[in-house]
Amino acid sequence: MKLDLSGLQSFPSIPGGAVDDLGEDLFAPPSFQLPACSDVPDSRASMGGYISSQSVKKIIEINPYMLGTMAGGAADCQFWHRNLGIKCRLHELANKRRISVTGASKLLANILYSYRGMGLSVGTMIAGWDEKGPGLYYVDSEGGRLKGTRFSVGSGSPYAYGVLDSGYRFDMPVEEAAELARRAIYHATFRDGASGGVASVYHVGPDGWKKLSGDDVGELHYKYYPVAPTPVEQEMTDAPAA
Amino acid sequence: MVRKTCFAIASDRRLGVNLQTIATDFERIFKIHDKLYIGLSGLATDVHTLYQRLIFRHKLYQLREERDMKPRTFASLVSALLYEKRELAKDFVVSGTASESLYGACESMYKPNMEPEELFETISQALLSSVDRDCLSGWGGHVLVTPTEVQERTLKGRMD
Repeated sequence: MKLDLSGLQSFPSIPGGAVDDLGEDLFAPPSFQLPACSDVPDSRASMGGYISSQSVKKIIEINPYMLGTMAGGAADCQFWHRNLGIKCRLHELANKRRISVTGASKLLANILYSYRGMGLSVGTMIAGWDEKGPGLYYVDSEGGRLKGTRFSVGSGSPYAYGVLDSGYRFDMPVEEAAELARRAIYHATFRDGASGGVASVYHVGPDGWKKLSGDDVGELHYKYYPVAPTPVEQEMTDAPAA
Repeated sequence: MVRKTCFAIASDRRLGVNLQTIATDFERIFKIHDKLYIGLSGLATDVHTLYQRLIFRHKLYQLREERDMKPRTFASLVSALLYEKRELAKDFVVSGTASESLYGACESMYKPNMEPEELFETISQALLSSVDRDCLSGWGGHVLVTPTEVQERTLKGRMD
């Protein structure tokens, strides 16, 4: 279902006060889906480690200035993010102004809290730009909601946190932040069996979100750690990866 | 995979605990003697234990019989240790967490009477495409092909 976003075009541009735009980079989890969610003990876990897709879109575009990331159950995340998009649009129509990131994340958190204990599996970050500037919230299906400057969510998150925490500064330029995010995702895909595929990086600024890059992590590995050609390896026929 | 005059044995290189990857250079193919290799999948500690037991039994055999064990005999030994019937396939055998994918890939890619190079290519493609559909396998590959001498090669695969 495509959200009707045409109405948003006529809104007056939000006064972008802050000169140091906190180029918010979304630590986009790679596009990869495992049907058996590790934290939901349901019958789908019996599918074992089968990889169903390497090209799932894990960034959900709620509206042109707000993004949500997906971790946990794909169906739950997709459904509830779209539901959130509907609620945000209804808020705009009722109040004649865009909803704030605080408000949007609170809406989602309240919905998820009301389903607590019923088996939903959602780990998400809501990132956006509103009148107060950039906003980043972590929301999960336990009903938790946290405001912060950097988060990592999902089964590969501990690995991504390691890289992220060591390289993060509040006043980084956008390109550096994008590269840090890409590295963090790549390292998570390397160590975690349930992460892989494509690392997508988005930037959320005063004019909305923009996709910066989408790199296949299989290729990123050999870009960061190129195979040094040795005499023995010259003879090898390079079996191309599937 | 087997052919009239050579065979190929391949494995991935991941060692993991559930979803976490511990190592990407784990050796799963072991040499028993010049013409006999065994690939073992499953729990790493069991792999090592079984390998040590088999080497021990084979060395005793060598001392008594003054020759190497034939593959068929060795297969009986392994099956006795594992309490199950052995598979004597004419084309290929697979095992591991990606075994279903591997069956499909090998079945479609295998042809009888392949040259060693073609055999290497086929087994590598089958391995890489199967492990790319399994979260718990991958991170490179290791292939041995023997026409007259053993050729050991490492594969560059997706490291996710």
